[in-house]
Amino acid sequence: MRRHIWTIFWKEFRDIFRDKRTTFGVIISPLLLTPVLLAFIGSFILGQAKQAQAETLTVGIIGADASPAILETLKGVPNLNLRLETTTRETAEARIRDRSLRAVAELPPDAQQRLTAGQTVPVKILMDVGNDKSRLAGERLKAGFNAAGSVALTRRLEALNLPPEFATPFKLTEEPIKTGGSAGTLVIASLLPYMLALACFSSGIYAANDLVAGEKERGSLETLLASPASRRDIVLGKFLAVMSVCLAGSLLSIAGLMIPFFSGLEVYAWLVRGGLQLNPMGIGVTLLMQIPLAVLFAGLLIAISTFSRNQKEAQSYLGPLLIAIIVPAMMSMFLGAEVSRTMALVPVLNASLIIKQALLNSYDTAFILIALAASALYAAISVLFCTRLFQKESVLIKS
Amino acid sequence: MIQTDSLCKTFTDRKRGVIHAVENVTFSCHPGEIFGVLGPNGAGKTTLLRMLATILEPTCGSASVAGFDIRAQAQQVRQSIGFLTGSAALYERLTAREVVTYFGQLFGMEPNALSRRIEELFTELGIHAFADSRCDKLSTGQKQRVSIARAIVHSPPVIFFDEPTSGLDIVAARTVMRFIRRCRDEGRTVVFSTHIMSEVEALCDRIAIIYQGRIAAIGTLEELRRQTGKSAIENVFLSLIGESEE
Repeated sequence: MRRHIWTIFWKEFRDIFRDKRTTFGVIISPLLLTPVLLAFIGSFILGQAKQAQAETLTVGIIGADASPAILETLKGVPNLNLRLETTTRETAEARIRDRSLRAVAELPPDAQQRLTAGQTVPVKILMDVGNDKSRLAGERLKAGFNAAGSVALTRRLEALNLPPEFATPFKLTEEPIKTGGSAGTLVIASLLPYMLALACFSSGIYAANDLVAGEKERGSLETLLASPASRRDIVLGKFLAVMSVCLAGSLLSIAGLMIPFFSGLEVYAWLVRGGLQLNPMGIGVTLLMQIPLAVLFAGLLIAISTFSRNQKEAQSYLGPLLIAIIVPAMMSMFLGAEVSRTMALVPVLNASLIIKQALLNSYDTAFILIALAASALYAAISVLFCTRLFQKESVLIKS
Repeated sequence: MIQTDSLCKTFTDRKRGVIHAVENVTFSCHPGEIFGVLGPNGAGKTTLLRMLATILEPTCGSASVAGFDIRAQAQQVRQSIGFLTGSAALYERLTAREVVTYFGQLFGMEPNALSRRIEELFTELGIHAFADSRCDKLSTGQKQRVSIARAIVHSPPVIFFDEPTSGLDIVAARTVMRFIRRCRDEGRTVVFSTHIMSEVEALCDRIAIIYQGRIAAIGTLEELRRQTGKSAIENVFLSLIGESEE
């Protein structure tokens, strides 16, 4: 009877949200911990970047004596300490390895003459690419030589009575179109489907374990089975409660991930690059796709909980299932939005790819239809499976 | 009110093979009677009560509870029974009132009637002082009182007690015993399973001795004493299951 299903659903729903583990996992973690964690990462990145910018790096120049004009230009590069005593490549490499120098520029002996004669000066930048500071020092040296090159070029053009534009036939600028994506959207489109699948599944774990395996453990399931509610009503009531928690987990995760984009805080700048350009269809599809995922996961979680004698046993079965969920969800991070349609048949991955397509405004209608049909089918099988399992006496009442 | 006919239940276990938990159990009990099911642990008492409460399906035989067949009219059977076990089996995060309300709703009680019944039960069982406390904050005795209220909120004509005093202290156990007597005095049919001889002696009108899934004897305590020629209930029991008093 429908009355029993709703009675059980409301009781379970209330019970679940009084469980601190669920409250933490479903509400506090996505709304508070996720933004705080992202801010922490942001402040770390920001701090590292600022520190790197402010730090003076020591670099060496081989052949500096023969090129005083070039050396003069490099002295203008901020936070770069030039050491001129290095004479050979071997010495330079040894000093980069022992980090007394971060990078070394090797000039040919005739560098000054080549520059004056209007020729190209080959410059080798020696650095340890596995070391951040060495790479940064190399970048600063390159910037210094580019600046010196610009000055030299301007002089050469002036000598020939040519305008500066003569050396720049094309001036390239990037202009994102209004309805297109942004770097931030791309980040969200890659991260969100994976995070949502994970949030949706993990939100329901405690609830599902508690609702059947937990009841078996405490002995309260027997009392419930002796009530007029049929087993089908009981399992459907419990299933609906777990599904609601899975959905709540997903939706609050979306809300938590949106906080950085709308907060305007500098600590989120690394994530928000270019802002977020979400289309209403993208938001709608993202929200809609949470339903088959929540149904699928709730059915699987209830089935595992029903099969287990107690919560500990249920936990041990969850490990392999979690991997089976994470792998396809993670694949969506690495695959592009435009993929083979056979991917629409892979559970979890298909839902994640639909979300990705929707967020990137890159729809493949046939893919979406196949994926929707497959997701609905898997969700229905999951509900049917958990309902059947719950009615099996040998599984439900193991002694 | 309860009639069983050759009721049996077998389980299949991978290691132990086929287990006959209950074999050919036939008995009847009536309104206003406490019918004791006495047997050692593993004798089949819980399996028998679970079949009568429609939690388990019998392998063979038949039974009716409150006039309803346990196979064909399982829902009507469950509507007519109360089921109380030794573990209070309450929902820890719900309050006492919420637990009893939940079961009242499952039994299809109207909201007004349910509220009145809860007030009446809480007064009788002395639950008002902790009615709105969460069950995980209650003492064992308080939990057992709430559990009793939950089991009888719908005023069932038949009540099953499956080792209801196991794990309880003497005060809580006495509350349960008093409650069982009251159920009989109100004209309900009471089936009471236990392995504690003194409880059987103090409460039961008739007793079924169950051992290894079979009923060894049925009768009043006096009848069983006459049958065995023993006076102490422990000796009556041992004699009926064919064990030596030594």
